Order: sequence, then structure tokens, then C-alpha cells
Amino acid sequence: MLASKRLQKELLKMHAHLPPGIDIVSTDDLKEWLMDIRVLDPNPLYQNEVYRLKFSFSKSYPIEAPEVVFVQDTNRPIPWHPHIYSNGIICLDLLDRQGWSPVHNVESICVSLQSMLTGNTKKERPPGDDNFVKYNTQRPRDINFLFHDNSV
Amino acid sequence: MAGNEHAAEQLKEKGNAHFRKAEYASAETCYSHAIQKNSKNPLLYTNRANARLKLERWQDVIDDCIKSIELLKENMKAFFYLAQAQMAINHPNEALSSALMAYDLCVKSTTQTNNAATISALVLKCKKAKWEVREKERIRRRGELLGELEEKLEESKKKDLFEIDKRLAGQEMGTVEAEEERKGVEETYNKKVEDLRTAFAISDPEHMAKREVPDYLIDAITFEIMHDPVVTRNGQSYERATLIEHLKRSPTDPLTREVLRIEDLRPNLALKEACTEFLEANSGWIYDW
Repeated sequence: MLASKRLQKELLKMHAHLPPGIDIVSTDDLKEWLMDIRVLDPNPLYQNEVYRLKFSFSKSYPIEAPEVVFVQDTNRPIPWHPHIYSNGIICLDLLDRQGWSPVHNVESICVSLQSMLTGNTKKERPPGDDNFVKYNTQRPRDINFLFHDNSV
Repeated sequence: MAGNEHAAEQLKEKGNAHFRKAEYASAETCYSHAIQKNSKNPLLYTNRANARLKLERWQDVIDDCIKSIELLKENMKAFFYLAQAQMAINHPNEALSSALMAYDLCVKSTTQTNNAATISALVLKCKKAKWEVREKERIRRRGELLGELEEKLEESKKKDLFEIDKRLAGQEMGTVEAEEERKGVEETYNKKVEDLRTAFAISDPEHMAKREVPDYLIDAITFEIMHDPVVTRNGQSYERATLIEHLKRSPTDPLTREVLRIEDLRPNLALKEACTEFLEANSGWIYDW
């Protein structure tokens, strides 16, 4: 109840206005949304590419954070970033249980991810990406990422 | 007398059994027989009112409720059924005062508080119905006024055109001049009607394209208008229930991430007043917003 009402209102707001580089792809139900983001600055790592994000909402959204991952598609790669695994899982404090705040929303998450990419210069994956991608069976929100590296 | 009371009680039980099986006509008959045996028991009337409510016999429901209230003043059920019947026959003002009586009695009573949510939903429904009746009347009256004013404008236009024809006939002006004057009169008339209609449309909130609740009345967590706002230490206000939900999981201010405990919250009375006022001024659509 809480989640669906709030999501409907977010959708209305986003249909009226969205920041540049952010697009709604599909919001067919109020459980899972797809959004596209682009990096607007001339950062050579992300030039001419579009990235697709999948949002999954629980019934307790926005008290609980949504689950947000990049999803791969034929013309939608997973962006390079030392905090983004090659399977699309993102390590970002505001998506973490501790870092989440119910005043965040789909739009503000997209903007945060945009700026996280904009500021990055390293064409890298997080340390241990191979193993993580191979062996991780946990859902993103159940993983305890270590936020020891605040330089990126 | 005692024998009759006993018989009435048995008939009531029989009626209740029918009612539970959704046999409302049979239930109503049993209650009627019970009332013949004992006409002093207010519960028999409320039970019959409930059966008649199901049978949609609104006027009979109202009669039963009034009889029951005469016998027992603090009669939440009777006021509750009465409100529903009054709503059904389109008397929202009466329905609202009955529903409010039921709500008061319910809140005061210690045993019946679990009905509070149902009754407050009925109160809200009555308020909305009351607003709708008022609104319909207002739109009808506006329509009449607008029609009357447009008629007056048309009359004065006809008079002006008639004057031109007269002067043309009396050879006070030529055909070309008269044609120009006529065009001028038509144009002024059309402009005036347009302005009048615009003025009416602007002053009518029903015609305003956008119905929005101002951001300062909206809870940043649920995105809904607040009912009981509380203010945090940095001055931001939230709806009490949802903020507490967040604080139970993470005792931090949603904006600043500083430590925030439930005890730190203070009611924001002025904002609460503003929310109430906005709800009252905009009742119709706000219920579905």
C-alpha cells in the first residue's frame, strides 16, 4: 500500500520532468522498473553509451531501499567502475541498508549513479570481481559491502 | 411480562441466526415479532435496522434507529446505521452528524474502539458526499449567472446593431461606414463574452488544469499530505507514523543522517493546522489524490 501509492506519485512527477540523461524505459507494474541513464560529461569511459538499470521494490519501499542493478543488453553494457561488478551489482552506500534514507527516490538514485560514473577515471572492476561474479548467490541487498574506499 | 421478554429474546436469537446466514428478510420478520413481545428493548430495533439496511429499506432503518435512540441515548450502533441510511437517501448533512455521534460514542467507549476505523471511514464518506452536493449546487448557480450575463451582453449588442441600422436608414451614415461599425460591435461583443468566460473559468477551481498539494504540506517519505506532522531537529517535518517507521529501523535523520531519536520529535502544530485547512478547502478531489 505504502509502496504503490508512493511509486505512482514518483512516476507522475517523473513524467512531468526528468533530469537530462535519465529516461523511463518501463514501469509496467509497481514492483520492477527499468530506467536508462547516460553520462552527460565528455568522459571517454562512457561516451556514446546508454546503461540500463533495474529497480526492484519491496512492499516496504521507501522505508526499505530498492534493489538496484545494472542489466546487460545487446547494446547496453555494464559500465566500468571500481564499485560496479561485471554482473551489474552496484556497491553504493545509499543503496545499502545503513546508507539508505526514505527521502531518496528513483530519480535521486539515478542522479547519484550518473555522478558516480561522471567522476570516475578508472577502467576497473572491484577487486575479486571474477570470484564474486562466479560464486555470489546473495541478493544485492543482503551483501555487506565494505565501504573502505571513499576515493571513487 | 417476564415471559414476553424471554420470548422476545428467543426470537432475537432466531433472527440473529438468520442474519448470519444472510437471510435478511427472515431475520427482519423475527425481529419484528420480538418487538411485538417487547417494545422496550433498544437492541431489537438496532438489530432490525441492520437487517433492513441489508434489504435497502432506508426509511424503515431510520425509523428503527430513532426509536432505538429514544430508548437508549448513548447508542453507537443506532447512530452508525442511521448515518448509512441517511447517506443512502442522499442526506449527507444529517448523515455526517449521525456518523460523528457514532464516532464520539465509539472513541469514548472502552469496548468498541475497534470500530473506530470503520466509523471514521464512514465520516470521511459523509464529508465527501456533503462536499459533492455543495459543489453541484455551486456549479449549477455559476452556470445560471454566466448565462444571464451573456444574455445581457447579447441584448446590448442587438441594441447597438439596431442603432446602426437606424442611422443607416436615416442616411446619417453610409453603407461602408455602417458595415465597419457593425464589425466593431461584433468584435467587442465576442471579446467581452470571451473575457467573461475566462474570468469564470479562472475563479472556478474545478476548471483549473492542475490540482496540486503544495510541497510544504507533503510528507517527503510517503509523498502524501500530512495529518499529524512532526518536526526534526533540523526543521524538516514528516508524517509522524512513517517517520517513526523509519526511525525504528535506523535512528537517523533522513536528510542529515545525524542521530535522531523518537523522543526528539516535536509536533508541528502550525503545519498541522495548515494541512487541515487545505483538506477542508479542497475536500472533493483530495480524498482520491
